[in-house]
Amino acid sequence: MIKNLKEKAVTWSRIKSPWVLHYNSGSCNGCDIETLDALTPRFDIERFGVLLKGSPRHADVLLVTGAVTKQQAKRLRRVYDQMAAPKFVVAIGACACSGGVMYGCYGVLGGVDKIIPVSAYIPGCPPRPEALIDGVVKLLSTLKK
Amino acid sequence: MEIIKELIIGLFYIIVFPGLLFLVIYGGLSEWLDRKFYAQMQNRQGPPWYQPFADIIKLMSKQVIIPKAADKKMFKILPFIAIAAINTSIFMIPIFSNSALYGFRGDIIAVIYLLSIPTATLFLIGWSSTSPYATIGSMRVLTQLFAYEVPLLIAVLGPCILAGSWSIEDVAVFFTNNPWLMLVNIIGFLVAIVALQGKLERVPFDIPHAETEIVGGVFTEYSGRLYGFMRLALDMEMVVVAALINAVFLGGSFGYSGWIGLLLFVIKTEFVVFLLSVLKAAMARVKINQMVDFCWKWLAPFAILQILICIVARFMING
Repeated sequence: MIKNLKEKAVTWSRIKSPWVLHYNSGSCNGCDIETLDALTPRFDIERFGVLLKGSPRHADVLLVTGAVTKQQAKRLRRVYDQMAAPKFVVAIGACACSGGVMYGCYGVLGGVDKIIPVSAYIPGCPPRPEALIDGVVKLLSTLKK
Repeated sequence: MEIIKELIIGLFYIIVFPGLLFLVIYGGLSEWLDRKFYAQMQNRQGPPWYQPFADIIKLMSKQVIIPKAADKKMFKILPFIAIAAINTSIFMIPIFSNSALYGFRGDIIAVIYLLSIPTATLFLIGWSSTSPYATIGSMRVLTQLFAYEVPLLIAVLGPCILAGSWSIEDVAVFFTNNPWLMLVNIIGFLVAIVALQGKLERVPFDIPHAETEIVGGVFTEYSGRLYGFMRLALDMEMVVVAALINAVFLGGSFGYSGWIGLLLFVIKTEFVVFLLSVLKAAMARVKINQMVDFCWKWLAPFAILQILICIVARFMING
């Protein structure tokens, strides 16, 4: 029973306090601007406990924007490996989901899921901040199950 | 039997009140209030009240990564040393009444000394994690320490000179008996509030972990449980420092104890936290050289001016 309670508390805390790390793996900056928009006081996602963290060691959710270029693939993998488990990845924008318009380009490997496991995809070019918040909330609501 | 009884009482003091549990809960609530004030000043709603606790529980349940190059023993032990030092210092500060648990003559120096141990551990955790960002952060921690510590100490000594005692208890009792004399210390109070921003590493002086320059500063390599304990230590430090300011500058509990003492303590410490978050919201980060310049050119002279005022006032009181 105590174990059950502990598990419940841990799940609750994970849902209530997702700290994010923003990483650009070759985006055109459109999605980055929207991501930063979502962090502004207008949307106030600190209501849900979301904090932007600088170090991958502190973060729970990795927000990746842009198609993964060949140069960035190794770094993306490394940033992902530096995060402490449990960790989640959210691919933001059409390019991060599948490669988008960059698909098949000579310098581009493709979507983020070619390199690291992705938990949530947020399509759009670029997605609105509301879509981004919705995506993170949906990702966290799957934790309950 | 006597020994066992004393042991249990001692453990109660250390673990429950006014030790660890009280500091953790009150520290979490103070952090929430701080974040809430900050959010309100940015015209947003801010986090719910349980936010700091959710953060701590989440961090406790996360994986701990220790870098290969780091000094493993130091890396693991240092957060606990910081917590232990802060936990010790609360015993000498009066909380709900005008008497501290283990007050003695000169305890104000002991408290200031104990409160600089967390800063030293901040330096050491940066140093032992060997990451370049953390190393730069730890150098900045030390540079900053030499800038704010002197004005803070001088500012805190002002009331002691006025009260003619080196014990926090006596200072609190003195201001309880002569509340109007608190106005003499207003410069010292402001100097102490600004210097505390440096001690707690908050926004105008959060140079040691400036996110835009050096990622997470000294905490860059810290993850999971250990980072959680470090966050707890900073929260607890905020409470202890607010309690110290309350006892030294704001007259302690005005002679009340029990529920009224508790209410006064909460109101006054949260007032200190409010002032700290106003400073945090109103200012942007300065550079390390500007910070040192400011502390030595403005804060230290004002603190010395405060001491002069206190000496003159002391002569006037004594006739």
